Formats: sequence, structure tokens, C-alpha cells
Amino acid sequence: MQQEKFIVRNRWWFIITPVVLTIISTILLSKVKINSDLETYFPETMKSKTSAAIIEESFGKAEPFLILFESDDILKQATLKRLKDIDNELNRMGYFDEVISLFSMKDIRGDDGMMIVDPQVEMIPDTKESTEKLRESIRGNELAYRTVISDDFRYAMIILKITDNVDDQELIDGLRQLIDKYPGDEKVYFNGMSYLRYEANNKISRDLTILLPLALLVMIFFLFISFKEFRGVWLPITVVIVSSVVSMGMLPLLKWDLSIIGVLIPIMMIAIANNYGVHFVARYQELNVKHPRWSMSLIVLKTLQNLRKPIILTGLTTIVGILGLVTHLMIPARQMGVVSALGVGLALGLSLTFIPAIMSTMKKGASHKAFSENKNGIITEVLSRVAIFINHSPRKTITIFAVFLFVVGSGIFFLKVASNNDRVLSPKHPYNQSIQIANKHFGGTRFISVMFEGDMQDPELLKRLDYYESELKKMPETGNVNSLSTIMRIMSRALNDQGTEGYNAIPDSRDAIAQYLLLYSMSGDPDDFESIVNFDYTQGLLSIQFHADDMKTLNRVINKIETLTKDDPAKKVVAGFSLTEKEMAHSITIGQIYSLVFALFAIFLLLALIFKNAVAGAIGSLPLVFAVICTFGIMGITGIQLNIVTALLSSISIGVGVDYTIHIFWRLKNELSEGKKYPEAISNTLRTTGRGIVINAFSVILGFAVLYFSAFPYLKMFATLIILSLLLCLLCALVLVPAICMVAAPRFLGSEGSSYIHPLKSDRKETLKRENVQEEEILQEIEE
Amino acid sequence: MKKIALLLAMLLSCGWIIAQDARSISKKAENAINLKSMEMVSNLKIYNARGDERTRKITTVTRKFGDVTKMMIRFIEPADVKGTTLLVYDYEDRNDDMWIFMPALRKTRRIVSSEKGKYFMGTEFTNADMSKPNFDDFTYTLAGEEIVNRLSCWKIESSCKTAALENEYGYSKRIAFIEKENNLTQKIQYYNRAGELLRTQTISEYKLQSNDSYFAYHMKMENEQNGRSSVMAVDQLQIGSTLPEARFSPAMIEQ
Repeated sequence: MQQEKFIVRNRWWFIITPVVLTIISTILLSKVKINSDLETYFPETMKSKTSAAIIEESFGKAEPFLILFESDDILKQATLKRLKDIDNELNRMGYFDEVISLFSMKDIRGDDGMMIVDPQVEMIPDTKESTEKLRESIRGNELAYRTVISDDFRYAMIILKITDNVDDQELIDGLRQLIDKYPGDEKVYFNGMSYLRYEANNKISRDLTILLPLALLVMIFFLFISFKEFRGVWLPITVVIVSSVVSMGMLPLLKWDLSIIGVLIPIMMIAIANNYGVHFVARYQELNVKHPRWSMSLIVLKTLQNLRKPIILTGLTTIVGILGLVTHLMIPARQMGVVSALGVGLALGLSLTFIPAIMSTMKKGASHKAFSENKNGIITEVLSRVAIFINHSPRKTITIFAVFLFVVGSGIFFLKVASNNDRVLSPKHPYNQSIQIANKHFGGTRFISVMFEGDMQDPELLKRLDYYESELKKMPETGNVNSLSTIMRIMSRALNDQGTEGYNAIPDSRDAIAQYLLLYSMSGDPDDFESIVNFDYTQGLLSIQFHADDMKTLNRVINKIETLTKDDPAKKVVAGFSLTEKEMAHSITIGQIYSLVFALFAIFLLLALIFKNAVAGAIGSLPLVFAVICTFGIMGITGIQLNIVTALLSSISIGVGVDYTIHIFWRLKNELSEGKKYPEAISNTLRTTGRGIVINAFSVILGFAVLYFSAFPYLKMFATLIILSLLLCLLCALVLVPAICMVAAPRFLGSEGSSYIHPLKSDRKETLKRENVQEEEILQEIEE
Repeated sequence: MKKIALLLAMLLSCGWIIAQDARSISKKAENAINLKSMEMVSNLKIYNARGDERTRKITTVTRKFGDVTKMMIRFIEPADVKGTTLLVYDYEDRNDDMWIFMPALRKTRRIVSSEKGKYFMGTEFTNADMSKPNFDDFTYTLAGEEIVNRLSCWKIESSCKTAALENEYGYSKRIAFIEKENNLTQKIQYYNRAGELLRTQTISEYKLQSNDSYFAYHMKMENEQNGRSSVMAVDQLQIGSTLPEARFSPAMIEQ
């Protein structure tokens, strides 16, 4: 009682401190930076990232950006004119190291003893004849066909190599203005990481501005329906707002950025952080009805006394579950774990300090029936029937769950990990449409580079590169494969007549190669080579462009590259964003397992400690294991992939779901200690606590359901899965746990029918009198 | 009214005088170097942004026959390209004719290229930099005076007259710093249409030749956009050439 009185006495401190904290956090929050660059979500020590760094060291970081034009025929005069105008301006913009387009392409060919070097498009054709001539010429130019012009001539691509330090926003806005400056009938698409980041950034801001107010509104509505009292709404909502703002304010304080999954933090806070406040208000209403004579201070003290332990326990288990995210390999997941755990901790603290402090200053409200109070509604009705079923056939109940687990859980074997980030935006987004086009009509949007180190003018090495190239080109997934050997072949065709020795072949002597290179360097820009061979010809790249929709295809291409170049003494390193994606997928899986194991183990330990019994840990963890396995099973069966967001699922659902079991255990233990037998205890538990749990679970589910309005399909998918997972946890806690307890009669719950005398069974007058005396004593103490 | 007209006329004529001045300074600078035929050995050094160096040693023989300037460039170093020879016929009014002899292939190949304003031998110099630009392709303005290499220089801005010329030369305007005493260009800056500095050329070690014209023995071109640079240093120079016209033929290129 001392602690409770301390809070009431120092209530102003407990009111002012959160207000100050919120103000500071709001100021901090204005400094939060949004980071939608998925690549930075993973540590720099990843092998694919260090490999990429080695290549970047020699060849620079060339982040490609693609502009796609769609027309019924790209070679139409008006279309070519527009492309030419845009191409000219792009070259002058200063944002790009290189602009590769139909107009930058050279047509190098041999003809009648001459080597001819022409721009691919010398003049925009104005007759049908000259158009068809150009078409034929493009078809024969392997550097242009399917690289800057699609196989059906309906699409043109401009490939831009972005200069370092160009701001995404500035770049995209500049490009949009440029496209508008030269209007035309052609549809224009953008593609590239900077566009993805730009779109995702805007969508993160949009999500926060739409989802947060919406989630709060939903919560307010839910709380008002439940309590029908103003304080029942604003007190829990204040806790939610304070803990959300403070937890989000931690991000800039710890110098962390707001990631795509960071959107989940405030939503999660809204869904979870009101729980404790809700319990408090509910108990206040219950006591207000039960004890009309009690003063506000007494009700507050009593409520605190009753709820402190269960609120702290459920809060702690939630925090531990969420902290499972700290073991994840994905950096924002770890950050989210820390920040949300702090937020939940704060919500817990505020519910036990701020809410009672505020309430103690208020007058008593009108008597309302508490929302968790036993009354005959549809939920109670259903739960009563469930209790009857459990009591009648507990073993059958367990068997049904086991069969369900076995059948649905086997879907886990079909669970796939998302292979790429294309699904960050909706499939209908122009970004994804452009990927479809690039995959179908061009070489694809994925790139892998193999770096070779040695004398790049050595004919043997170039012949090996030529072999790898030809082998890789045989794969249906690959589009363009380029290296120094590609250039050698082009030069050999231009310098030798068809049918003669040396035509379309890698030269046999080193000098010939050096002379080919010299000649090529004369006919182009000095940086033409930069992307395939370094300055002193000691390092070279084999670049593979391809398309892959799933991990399997991606792996096939990667394996082929690895097997081909396995024994090459000159091979230095293989890198590319696709490899990073592969590793990201792997770390998502590993991260999922780590956080799952951590959370389960911690919850097991915590439950075992709370109930001083390992069996409590085991039975309490069961609903979580069940929910996790079944959720993954359902994902496998329905083809929902594990991705950067769904990978957070198990930690969050464990953290939230464990509360239900704790409440059930608590109540069952109470009921049994009151001398009831299992059937009666289970029935009472489900009808009272069970109903509270159901309502509480639905409030959390409602909170997460707001994510359906997110702009990110990943977050929508997360909403479905977390709701599913929480429903499974709920089902387990309400049905499986009581059934197991009934069959196993674990010792930690106490034995049936023990000699405990319920206060209400003694003289009621005596009790009331005692309570009145107690009330007067407490009031007197407070006044002193 | 008359006063205003007079003032306007004066202003206009002043502008004309200044423009004329800029033109004449540029003309003088152009005339200060006048080499129709010569033989030279030079070193080309190409640097990338990190400062790595690539060296090529070449001999160049130039002679003018009628309207055609014929030029033969032969690589001496590095060893793997030694003997590679380029023969260029530079016509005033049409595309150049070009042949290459590659010793490793033991044959001569004609190169047809309609591309201009491209880079010379893989350096930061463009072909346009290596030959005299057509004087009337530009409008000239005097943009002030400046000290360059401790020499007092005119600052002359030359802008391409048309967009087509911009594309041909690869820049929109250049600013030349022409030393006042001998009209020798010390530095040239090349800009694109957006006003961004593309390249900076510094010219030094001018030596007076027997024909009373000057020749620069050291030229450096820095690409301001990508950090690369190239240096052309002349080892030996002989004014005039005795190489007969027959030797400037594709059939004789191998010798």
C-alpha cells in the first residue's frame, strides 16, 4: 500500500514528467530522418556487401537509373525526336556520369575492307524505307538491341549512371520536369533504386500521416464503445500518445533512421500500449459500481493494488517478446525491438503512475458497468459453450489442436523467402510495371558482376571470359552478358572480313589485343571502358544482366556463375545487388529463427519464474509455438513469402500473445484456490477473464488492422498475418491451455477444491465494515 | 530625342568596338601559332581520377598538300602497340579520311567515322582541340583581364553560334586567357550550355620557332567533371617536313 500512496501523494510529479518527456520527444521527432534504402538495413559486414565494395573500389559505384518509353513503334519520327531532345538534356543535366541510349550507341562494323564507326542514329529517319533500314541496323547491333531498344521496338530504354551524392528527390523532380518539358504520346516509366527510395520515402510519410490518426480514431471509438465515459478514452489514449511519441523520439536520439518497418512502431504502440490503461479504467469502473461509497482516491489505490502485479507481468512478457527482435540481423528490426520495448515499458509505467495520479485528482464519474464485467453477451455465450466442450472432452480438444497443428504446420515446408525488393511497392506501381517490361523485352533488371584480376590483355584470359559469356547467354534467364571479350569480338568483326581468319574471334596474340583496344579507345570516349576494365588493364568485369522472379531462379543463375568461374585463377570476387538480396533473404530466415528462439526461451523462463514452475513455462509457451508454426504453415500453403516485414511477425505475436495465457493461468489459479473444481474454474475463467481477453485481443487486432490502409503491400500482408497469429494465440489460450490444464492438472495452479474462504462467503456486512474502516484509515493517512 | 539617339549610337559602336577587339585579339592569338608542316615526337600521359598514369609515345608528321592537311601518327611506346600507325586526311569541307595499320594484324584498314568532337587517342583532348576551330563559328566578347601564370591576359569568351556547332565541338562556350604581349593563349576553359565548367586546358612552354611562330611544348587538359587529365609534352620538334606526299598514302603506311 505504501507504493500506491506514494503515487497519489506525488501525483503532480507523475503528471508533469510525462508531459515534459513528450515535449522533448516531439522536438527530437522533428529531426527524424526517413531511410527507405533497403540495402542499408543490413550490416556492412555482409559478404556480398564487402565483395561489392571491392568492385566499387576499382570501378566506382555506378547506380543505374532506367527511363523506359513505351510507344507502338519507337522508331516513329515524333518518338525519336522526343527521345533525342530528352537525351540531349539528360547529357546536360550534370546528374549523370554516363547517359546510355539509342543516341549514344555506336554502330561499329566492317564493310568491304573498311571499319565503319557511326552513331547508331545519324539522322532521325523520315521515310518508311530509312526507318526500316535503321531497324535492321539496330537488330544487328548487339550493344543496342535488347539493351536500349526492346526486341519488338515498342520500348526504348535510357540507362543513366548517377553521379555520387545526387539527392533522390532532386533527381526525380528534375527528371519529371524534363519529361514534361518534351510532351509526347509515349508512356514513361522510371526504374532504379533511387526511384524506389523516393517512392518509398513518400509512402512512409504518407503512411504516418494517414495511419496514425486513423489508428488513434479507431482506438478512441473502441474505447468509447467499451467505457462510455470520457476518461475511459482520453486516459489510455494519452498513454498511447506519450509512449508512441517518446519511443519514436528515441530514434533520432540514438541517431537511427526511420525505416519502412519503422511505420510499425507507432501502430504497434497504439495497438498494445492502451492495454494497461484499459485494464486500469475497467477496474476503476468495476469498483465504482461495486462500492458507490468509496472515494476516488480509495478506488485508485485499490485498483493499483489489484492490478500492479498482473500489469507488470504481462508488460514484462510483452517487452521480452519484442526484445527478441534485437537478435535479428536486420538493423531496423533490432532498432525497432529496442524502441518498442522502451515504448511498452513506458506505457506500462505510465499506466501505473500517470493514470492513477491523474485519476486521483478527478471527481468520481457516473457508475458504468465495466466492459470486462460479466454480462450475458454473444462473447460470453460463445465462451460458455466453449467451456462446456472443453470440460466435456478435454482430450478430444487437445487432439483437434494436434491434428490442426500437424496439417497446417506442414505448410512450413512450402514457406518461401522473398527474393527481391520489387514487392515493396504494389504490383500495379509503375516501378513494378517497368520491371515486367524490362524482364520481358530487355535483358532484365538484375545485375551480377564477376571481377577478374590479372593481365586483362592476355588472350587466354579473354578466351575464358568469352566462354563464360557464351555459356551464360544460353540460360533463358540471362539478357546481356558483357566483358572485354565482347568488345574484342566486335572489333574483330570490324577489322576482319567475314570468312577470314580472325573474324568474330578473340585474337591469339597479346599485341593484337592491345592494338584492338587502342583502336577502340580512339573511336570512343575514354570512359567507354571504365565499366568493364580498369585503367591499367589489371582488373576486368564480366557483367551479367538477367531476370529472376523468385529465389530459385536467382539461385540457378548465381550457381551457374559460381560453377563456371570456380577454378578460374584470375577470378577475384562475385558481387551484385542480387547477391545482396540473396544474403538478405538468408539473413531474414536466420533472423527469424534467432528472434523466435530468443523470445520463446525468454518467455518460457519468465513464466517459469512467475509461477515458480517449469511446467508453467512449457504450457504457457505452447500457444505461442502453436500460433507461430500454424502462421508459417498458412504462409507456406497460401504462398505468402517471408520478407523484411513479415520476418518481424513471430517476435511481436509472441510478445503480445503471451499475455492471454498469463491471464488465463492467473484466473484459473485464483478459481482453484477458491476451492472450485476444474470444470467450474474453467467455465468461470472463460466467462470473465476470457471475455476480457477477447475484447482486449480485438482492440489490438483493430489497431493492427489499420495497416490495411498502408501504401506498402508488405505492411498490409503483415496486418493479415499478425491478426491471424494473434487469433491463433487467442484460440490456444482460451481452448487449448484450459484443456491441457484440465488433463494435466499442473501443480503450479494449485490443487482442486483447497480450503480457501472467499471474502464474499463470509459475512458481507463484516467485509463492508472492514473496508469502510480501511477507507477511512487510508483517507486520513493521505490527508496527513 | 537626338541626344538619346546619339547616346544609343555611341553605346552600340562601343559594343562593336569591344566585340571587334575581342575578335581581333582572338585572331592574333590564332595567328601566333602557324604550323602547316612539322615532325615531332611527343609523350602522351593519361591520368585517371585516382592519378594512375598511362603513357604513350608517338611521332607525328604533318604536311599540307593543297587543301588537305595530311597527318601520320605512329606509336613508339608501349611495346604492345609499337608500329600502330594512323593516317589522317583532314579536309576543310568534309569528313576526315582515316586509315589504321595494325602490325599484329599486318594489314591496313580504312576507318569511316562521322563522329566529331570525340576524344583524341583516348585522352581528355578532343579531336576538335587538336585542330584549329573554324574562326567564324564563334562570337567573341571581351570579358575582362586576368593574371595567369604571372602574365597579364585578356579574357576572351567565345560562344558557339548554333546548337549544331555546340554538338560538333562538344562545348557551348570557351573562355581563353590570352597573354597581352605575344598573344599566346595560356589557359582555356570549356563550358556546357548550363554554364558548368567541363574542362580546363593549360598551355605552357611556348617556344619561338624558325618561322617566327610559336609552338607550345606542354599542354594539359583537365576534365573538371570526372577528375581525369591528360598531358601532351613535346620531346622533339622540327618545323617543316620533307616526307614526300607518296609516303602519306594508305599503301605505304606500313613502312
